[in-house]
Order: sequence, then C-alpha cells, then structure tokens
Amino acid sequence: MSDVYIVGADMIAFGRYPDRTYYQLGAEASLKALDDAGLSIKDIGAVYASSCFNAQSMLGQKVLKEIGQTGVPCINVSNACASGATAVREAFIGIKSGIYDAVLVVGSEKNPRGMLGGAPHDGPPPEGLFGSESMPAVFAEAGMVHAAAYGTTIEQFAKVAVKNHQHATMNPKAAYRKETPLDEVLASEMIAWPLTKLMCSANVDGAAALVLVSEKKARELGMSRAVRIRASMLTSDPYEPRNPVMFDANSVTRLAAAKAYEMAGLGPQDLDVVELHDCFATAEILHYENLGLCGEGEAGRLIDSGDTALGGRIPVNVSGGLLSKGHPIGATGVANIVEIVEHLRGEAGARQVSGAKIGLSHVLGFGAAAGVHILEKA
Amino acid sequence: MTTDSLVMPKPATGVIRIGADGRPWIEGFRCGDCGAAFTEQTMACRRCASRNAPEAFRAVDTGKLYSWSVVHRSYPGVAVPFVSAIVDLEDGLTLKGTLRGVDADAVRQGMPVALVFDDAGGARDKDGVPYVGFHFIPRGDA
Repeated sequence: MSDVYIVGADMIAFGRYPDRTYYQLGAEASLKALDDAGLSIKDIGAVYASSCFNAQSMLGQKVLKEIGQTGVPCINVSNACASGATAVREAFIGIKSGIYDAVLVVGSEKNPRGMLGGAPHDGPPPEGLFGSESMPAVFAEAGMVHAAAYGTTIEQFAKVAVKNHQHATMNPKAAYRKETPLDEVLASEMIAWPLTKLMCSANVDGAAALVLVSEKKARELGMSRAVRIRASMLTSDPYEPRNPVMFDANSVTRLAAAKAYEMAGLGPQDLDVVELHDCFATAEILHYENLGLCGEGEAGRLIDSGDTALGGRIPVNVSGGLLSKGHPIGATGVANIVEIVEHLRGEAGARQVSGAKIGLSHVLGFGAAAGVHILEKA
Repeated sequence: MTTDSLVMPKPATGVIRIGADGRPWIEGFRCGDCGAAFTEQTMACRRCASRNAPEAFRAVDTGKLYSWSVVHRSYPGVAVPFVSAIVDLEDGLTLKGTLRGVDADAVRQGMPVALVFDDAGGARDKDGVPYVGFHFIPRGDA
C-alpha cells in the first residue's frame, strides 16, 4: 500500500468572522492549501470536510460551490472536537486504499457564542442541580483527580496558559497574541476551580485545510516539502467505570497514542514537537502523561521544568494551542496538523522548533473520540 | 422531602425512582456476569459485552467524593457558585451531583458524603406537579 504524504497545508487566521459563512472560511483555507501544493481543485479526487456544528449541511459540497464543482465525492464528518482528525484519517484511508491519488481535507467552523454545551433536557435544568455539565467544570474535575493523586497545583495548571499564550505571540494566525504572566492568569475570572478564564480555550471561528497524496503523486510533485504520515489513528472511549457520569479524557487518548506509536514504529522519545488538545489548561497536564511525554504523576514537574516550552526538550503547543490560537471545533484537528507540517518543513518562522523531524498531533472529542497523527519530514 | 401528599412527584433526572409511598431512591444496573455498575439500562453490558442485560438494583445512599469543581460561571440563569461533585457510592455506582452544606475550601477527595433527596429546587411541571431531585451533603460519621 502506498505511503500517504501531505503536500499542501494552510489555514486562515483564527478569529471572529461575523460577516462570512463557515463554508467561505473553509473555501479560503482550501484554496490556500491547494496553492501550497501547487495543485488545482481539478486535480483532487475527493473532499473530506469536517465540522462539529455544520457537517450535516453538506460542508464539502458548499466549499466546492465556492471553488469549483468537479463532481467528486464529498465526505462530511462530525466527531465533536475530533472532527478534523477524523476527516484526515478517512482521507488517509482513501489514499492508502489506492482509490485516490490526491484528496483535499478541509475543517471549518463558526462556533456558537458563549459557553458551549448545555443540551436541552426535559424537566428542571440539570446544571447546578445535578452538578455541572459545562466543559470548564468537566475538565476541572478531570484535573482535580490528577491534583488529588499527585499534588498538582493551580500554579502548575496556570503555567500551561502562560506558556501557550507566550507561544501565540509568535504566531500571526493565532486569535490572541498577548503574553499573560502567571499572576494575570491566576487573577483572571474564576470559571470552575481550578480553571480561570485564561485557562480556558478561546471560542473563535476558523478553517484549515490539507492536501494528501499518494507516494506516486508526491514524487511527481517533488518531495522537497512533503511530509509523510507515519501514523493516523482514531479511537472511541473504551469502558471506564465512572463513564459517562464522569467524562474520561484519558483512556481514549492513551488508546489512540499507543496504537499510533505502534503504527509509526516510534515512541514518545522520538518526537521533536507536539500539538495536543489543550481545550483547558488541566487537559494539557493530563495529556503529557496520556501521550507518554513524561512518566505517571510527573506532568506537574514537566511544566515546571520548561521542557514543553519552545527551546525545551519537547515543545508542546508552540502555535499557542487552543488556549490562545483558538478552538474553532471542527477546524481544530486539521489546524493542529498544519502546525506540525510547518515545523517539519522548517517554515514556522519565529516559533520554529529547531531541527524538527518528527511531530505528533492530538485531539480529543467529548463523547468520546481521540485522534493521533504522527508525521515525519519526507 | 417536601411534597404535596396528594401529588406524586416526578423524577427530575433519569436515575431517580419513586415508590408508591412517594419516597425516592436511585436505581442502578449491574451486570450479572462481570459486576460492572451503570446509571443507565443498556441492551448489553458496556464492560464485558454480555448479552445478559444488566439488572436493576437499589443504590445505597452513602459514598465518597471522587472529584469536584467549584463552579463560578455557568449557563445563563444558573445560580452560582456551587460545588459540582462526582461521588462513588459504596456499591460501585458513580453519580454526579451538587454538594451542599460544605465550605468550598474544605472539599477534599475521599470525603464521605450522603445522598439526600429534595424537591429539585422548587421546580414544577406545567400542571404544578413537583419534581424530586438529589444532591450530596457531607457525612459527619467518618
């Protein structure tokens, strides 16, 4: 079976686009990725389109109506915050199977405003009466399990936000590019202990796109900027005794990571750069261990050490992460891969991870799904 | 609990059952093959996939706090702050609820709590029928 290569990768700057539709944002990202690959939409055999809130609206077809209706299959996927990684994985399978030589993946989202979630219920509203269903509270509770087990402190959780906000100052496509010192993170509005507002991801709009090709096509186009997909993995949540009362952010990610490392024939020690799902600062701490970046219970010390900051042993979320680059749900998984591709190509500008050869991207979808991709400079 | 003796309350959430005497309890479901406990009835066991459907049991009302958050901002119209708690009951069932009657600074993993029922914050359906809900309080005997 053919290896699969990324030859086009780009995204629009994340932010708020009140005057544009989600499919216009997706179309712009698609054209940028096609230009990056040196291809036309007429070269593309299929479109894989991801959105959490608009996949059912035929997103892929709407993008093609903006950029050229070639009649190719459009596969529209929705898988919560793992929607983008799911589309990439399906595109990977399409190339791997030999059916297509070149496909377009586009993730696009205009997030609803305000705090996301809060599904309608019969009877009295459950929020406050039966605990909290809000995402900050859910990830606060996941973090408090780590705090109880290992003594992780609010300062350690807050340092994740300090680091990622600092990284975002070097990313022109990040929604928020403002340094936030530790005292500012701790002093911002408390949302759900221990998470302050600056420890919660930024609710923004955005779109990102990738062009995936077969090895044959990559060789035709030239391998100088090509990035090989060493592993593409997607999991659903395995049984956990407290689920679904308590959302389990860990086991679904651990399963995806283990299978991705196996597929790649690599381990966490081989990684040079990581983009992981920092939907909340607590989540990044948990995922350090879930992805094997440190040992069990060592994540608090890992953030203290500075090893996950740019220039450290294993830089994490150099883009600014979901905390400050922003989290347009269905675009996030695609954008995380765009970031890794830029580092492996040596094109990440001021935030470049020096000499990066192998990178990992991870997303976690509530409900649950996890996507892990491991990429290597060809 | 406070309910009109002539009006049978309605469960405010799916895990609550109400006896003929109007007294509520929590119903769990346990797999007879592997022992896993669930808050929902499923067609097969989520853990071991046994096709012997998990069977209903009446949950105990004591447990220990597994995790929590003090929620300061929530959806519009929700009274804050409150303590959102995840509690492991002593019979293996896990519930999420609001922990009341406790200083937020004193909340700790492992603290013993008791399940209590109330009138779900005074909520009524369109016919004026009360809802019965549950919450947790600290248990003083441990």
